[in-house]
Amino acid sequence: MRRTWAIAIKEIKQISRDPITLLMLIGAPMLMLVLYGYALNFDVEDVALAVQDRDLSSASRELVDRLIGSNRFELVATLPPGSDIQEFLDRGDAVAVLIIPERFGQKLAAGETSEAQLLIDGVDSNTATTVLGYVNGIAAGINATRARESLRVEGNEHLLSAMINYQPRVWYNPEMVSSLFLVPGLIAFLLMFTAVLSTALSVVREKERGTLEQLRVKPLRTSHILLGKLLPYLAISLAGVVLILVAARVLFGVEVRGPYPDLFLATCLFLVGALGWGLLISTIADSQAVAFQIGVLSALLPTLLLSGFLFPIRNMPQPLQIISYILVPARYYLVILRGIIVKGSDLSPFWDQMAYMAIYTFVVLTLAAVRFKRQEG
Amino acid sequence: MYVLWRVIVKEFLQLRQDKRIIPTVVLGPVVQLILFGYAANLDVATVPLLLVDQDRSAASRELVDNFVSSTYFELMGVEDAVKDVEPWLVAGRADLALVIGAGYGNAVAAGRSPQVQVIVDGSNSTAASLGLGYANGILQAESARLVATRLQAGERSLIEIVPRVWYNPDLKSRWFYVPAVLAMILMIITMVLASMGIVREKEIGTLEQLMVTPIRSWQLIVGKLSPFAVLGLIITFLVTGIAVGWFGVPLRGSLMLLILMTMLLLLNTLGLGLLVSTIANNQQQAMMGSAFVVMLPQIYLSGLIFPIDNMPEVIQYITYAIPLRYYATILRGIFLKGVGIDVLWPEALALAAFGIGFLALASLRFQKRL
Amino acid sequence: MSEETQNRRLVVEAKHLVKRFGKFTAVDDLTLSVNEGEVFGFLGSNGAGKTTAIRVFCGLLKPTSGMARVLGIDVTDDPEEIKRRIGYMSQRFSLYEELTVLQNLRFFGGVYGLRGKAYKEREKWAIEMTNLQGKEHLQTGDLPGGWKQRLALACAVMHRPKIVFLDEPTSGVDPISRRRFWRLIDEMAGEGITVFVTTHYLDEAEHCDRLALMHAGKLMALGTVSELKEVFSDRAVLEVKCPDIIAALDLMSGQDWVLETSVFGTRMHVVVRNAQEGKRLTLQLLEGSGNAPVEAREIVPSLEDVFIHHIEKEEAAK
Repeated sequence: MRRTWAIAIKEIKQISRDPITLLMLIGAPMLMLVLYGYALNFDVEDVALAVQDRDLSSASRELVDRLIGSNRFELVATLPPGSDIQEFLDRGDAVAVLIIPERFGQKLAAGETSEAQLLIDGVDSNTATTVLGYVNGIAAGINATRARESLRVEGNEHLLSAMINYQPRVWYNPEMVSSLFLVPGLIAFLLMFTAVLSTALSVVREKERGTLEQLRVKPLRTSHILLGKLLPYLAISLAGVVLILVAARVLFGVEVRGPYPDLFLATCLFLVGALGWGLLISTIADSQAVAFQIGVLSALLPTLLLSGFLFPIRNMPQPLQIISYILVPARYYLVILRGIIVKGSDLSPFWDQMAYMAIYTFVVLTLAAVRFKRQEG
Repeated sequence: MYVLWRVIVKEFLQLRQDKRIIPTVVLGPVVQLILFGYAANLDVATVPLLLVDQDRSAASRELVDNFVSSTYFELMGVEDAVKDVEPWLVAGRADLALVIGAGYGNAVAAGRSPQVQVIVDGSNSTAASLGLGYANGILQAESARLVATRLQAGERSLIEIVPRVWYNPDLKSRWFYVPAVLAMILMIITMVLASMGIVREKEIGTLEQLMVTPIRSWQLIVGKLSPFAVLGLIITFLVTGIAVGWFGVPLRGSLMLLILMTMLLLLNTLGLGLLVSTIANNQQQAMMGSAFVVMLPQIYLSGLIFPIDNMPEVIQYITYAIPLRYYATILRGIFLKGVGIDVLWPEALALAAFGIGFLALASLRFQKRL
Repeated sequence: MSEETQNRRLVVEAKHLVKRFGKFTAVDDLTLSVNEGEVFGFLGSNGAGKTTAIRVFCGLLKPTSGMARVLGIDVTDDPEEIKRRIGYMSQRFSLYEELTVLQNLRFFGGVYGLRGKAYKEREKWAIEMTNLQGKEHLQTGDLPGGWKQRLALACAVMHRPKIVFLDEPTSGVDPISRRRFWRLIDEMAGEGITVFVTTHYLDEAEHCDRLALMHAGKLMALGTVSELKEVFSDRAVLEVKCPDIIAALDLMSGQDWVLETSVFGTRMHVVVRNAQEGKRLTLQLLEGSGNAPVEAREIVPSLEDVFIHHIEKEEAAK
C-alpha cells in the first residue's frame, strides 16, 4: 500500500507541475459545460417565419396572429404576392414560409375545408419536424375552437363530451428544460474525457520519456504501479464531477434530487472503468498523439453519440446497438445519472446497470493489467 | 520557386513516412461517418411505452391498438396500477405511460367524456416532447372519430395545413449530419496536422537549422502547409463520395464550387494551425490547444450539429466570429439546396476574410528569429 | 591596409557585444575577431553563453547592444544576407530522421538554391566526404550517431559557405567518430573555409588555431593554445596522489604557498610558484598529516588547468 501511495504522490506532484494537463482536467470540463449548456439545445423557439398572405381576410389574419402569438415563431418578413419564395428559403432568411391562398376566408365561411400551405426548410430535419408539429398544433387549436363554436350554434354542444378527456402529465421535468436532460449526459461525457485521456496520455508520456522503464526496474508489483497511476486521476475526476454539479446548479439551476452517496458510488465504478480504458489505450499506443487519437475515437465520440446522450439508442442499427452494449459503459451510467439527478431515485432500481458496469470495469482492468505485464517481458 | 518546391517535396516525403497518417486520414473519417450517418438519428423515434389498462373493455383495447400499431410506440410492458408506473420510468425502461382508467368503455358507450392519462418522462426532453406529440396526435384522432360517429351532420369547415418540405422532403436527419462530418473532419485533421507539423520541427531542432538558411518565411509556410491543403482536398473527395454514394445525400450544387469553398475553409484551418504552432512549444500543447481552444468551440458554435437559431442571443452573436459557421451554411447550401455563389457570396467573403486574417496574423508571429 | 581589405580578412568581428534575456545576461561585453581560414574554438562550460553568441552571429538573435559583423555584414542590418553565405550546424544534428540520406541532402541543397548539375556535383562531394557511399537510401534515423553528425555537417556546407558555425558538433558521439569528425574539420580548413566551433571537450580545443574561453557570458582569455598556457610561465603545476584526496584538498587550500587546487579523479592538481619548493612542501605537509604515501610530480599544464585558473580568478574577483 505504501508503494502505491508513493507512486500516487509522485503522480500528483507531476500533475500539479504541469499546468497544461491541470488545465485540461479542470478547465476543459467547465468550458464544455458552458459550451454545451448553451449551444446544445434542441428546444426550438423563435422560428424564423415568413408569411405570404394572398387573402388578407380576417380569417387569414387570425391564423397568422395565432402563430405569432404562440411565441414559437418570429415573423421575419411579410412577402408580397408573387415574390420569389425559393430565393428566400435558399438564402436561409426564414425556416418556414406560410402561404395563405386567395379565397381562404371565403371558403371557411362557406363551410368548406380551406388549405394553407407551409413551406419548410428541411435541411435541419429535427427543427423541421418540430416546426411542423407546432403549426399543426396551432391549426388544430383553431379548428377545435371553430368546431366548438359551430356545435354550440347548432345546439349540439352535448356531443363535445364524447371527446376523450386527455391529461398529459410530464414527470420529473414538467417544463421540459433541456439543461435537466443535458447535465447527466455532460457528466458522463466529461468524465470519460478526462479519465480516459489523462490516464492514457500520462502513461504514454512516461513511456516516451523512458521513466516507465525506471519504475518497472524497481521492486514494484504491476498492481502497485497501476493503482498508483489510477488513484490521483480518480480523485481529480471526482473533483471535476463536484465542479460540474456546482456549475450546473449555479448556471442552469439543476439540482441533484437523489441521494449523494449513491451518486458517488455509481460515479466511482464508472470512473474506474474509464480509467482502465485509458490504461488499456496506453498499452497499445506508443506516442501521445496516437493515444490522443485512439482516445477520441474509442471513448469520446462513442460516448457522445452512442450512449443515448444525444440520440436514442433504440433507433440505431443493430450492430451499433451491440457496440453500445459492449464498449460504451456510459450508456449504463447515463441511465443511473438521470435516475438519481433528475428523477430523485436511489441506486436500487439500477442493480442491472451497476452489474454491467462492474463487468466492464473488471474486464477492462484485467486486460490492461495483462497487457501491461506482458510488455515487461 | 525552386526552394518552395523542395520544401513541398520534403513535406510529402515526411507525410508518407508518418505512421499516424493512415489512422488519422482513413480511420477517423470512417468512424465519424458511421457514427453520424447511423447513430445520429432522430428520425422515426419509437417511444418505449408502458400500458396501464384498468378498463379492459373493447373500447380501451381499440385505443391501445391505435398506439401500438402506430409505429411510433413500442409496447414494453403492462401494469395494473398507476403506482407501478414509477419504477419503469425511473429505470428508463419506458418513456411514456398510457393510463386508461376503469370506466373508459362505459363512458365511450354513454357518450360521456372518457378519461385517459399520459405520463411522460421529462428527463429526456427531446424524447418527451416527441412522445407527447405522438400521443397527442393519436388521442385527437380517436376523439375526432368518437365525435364523428355520434355526429350525423356533414363535414365541418376546417383549416388544413398542407406542408411541403423543401430540400429534404423525407426529413432525414442523415442529410443534415453527414455533410457536417466533412466540415468537422477537415477542421480536425488539417488544423492538428498543420499545428503539429511546425511544432515538431521546433522540438527536433530542424526549425532552428532552417532559420539559419536563406529560406524565406513565406516559402517555409506555404511549403509546409500546401501538403495539408492537398490532403484536405483528398478528404473532401473521399467524404463527399461516401456521403453521396453510400448515404445517398444529394449533391445538388456544383462540385467545383464545393471545392473552391473548401479551399477557403482550408485557409482558415491551416492559418489557425500555424497560429497555434507559433504559440505552442511542444506537440502536446499544440494538440490540446487546437482541441480545446479552437476546435470544440468551432464545432459546437458553428451550427453544424446544434442549430444556431436555438442558442441564446448573446451566443448567436458570438457565432459570427466562428469561420466554420459560414462553411456550414455553404456546405448545406451546396449539398441540399443546390444554390450557387449568387446566394452564398456573403458567406464566401466572410470565410475568405477570416482565412486571410488568420494566415496574416500567423505569418507575422512566425519570424525567422528565435 | 585599407579598411575594406581588413574587413575581408576578418570573417567574424564582435565589439562589446551584449545579449540579455530579461534580467539574465547571456553574453556580456564580448569582443573578438576571427580571421579567414582559421579554426576558431569557442570553449566554455554549459551555459557559458557560447550558443547564444553563435545565434547572434547567425542572425537568429538580435544583439541587445554592441556590434557584430559576419563577412563584413552587420547582423542587425541584413541577417538574411548573412544566412545566404554561412553554414550552421546546431547542437542536435538537425536532420529529418524519417527521410533518407539523399532526401536530406537534396532538401538542404534545395533550400540553398542548389539545383541541376551544381547540386549533383555537391551531392557526390558530400557522399564522399561523409563516407556514406552505398547508404544513400537508408533512413537517416537508422544511422549511428557519428554518421548522422557527418551528414549534418555535409548538409550545412552544401552551398560552399565561406564560414561554418558548428555548435557543439561532437556532443554525444563516441571518441572514434569524434576523431574522424575533427579530421573533416581540418580538411575543410585546408580548403580555406573558416570554422567557428564551440565545444566543452578540452582535448578538441587543441585542434583549434585560436581559442576563446567563455565563462558566465564573459570572454576570459583569447589566443593560441600556447599563448593561453603562458599564464603558467612563472609557475608550475604539480600532480599529487595520496590516499585521502578530499582531506588533502582541504589542507592544501589553506596554505599561502599554494596558488590553486583542483581535483581530477583520484589525483589533485596544485599550482605553485616553484616546482621544487612546492614539491617539498607538499610532501612534508601531507605526510605530516598522516595522509601517506604521497606522490608529487611536475606536469605540463593542460588546457583544463588554464580553464580552471581563469574561472578561479574570476570567482575570486567577485
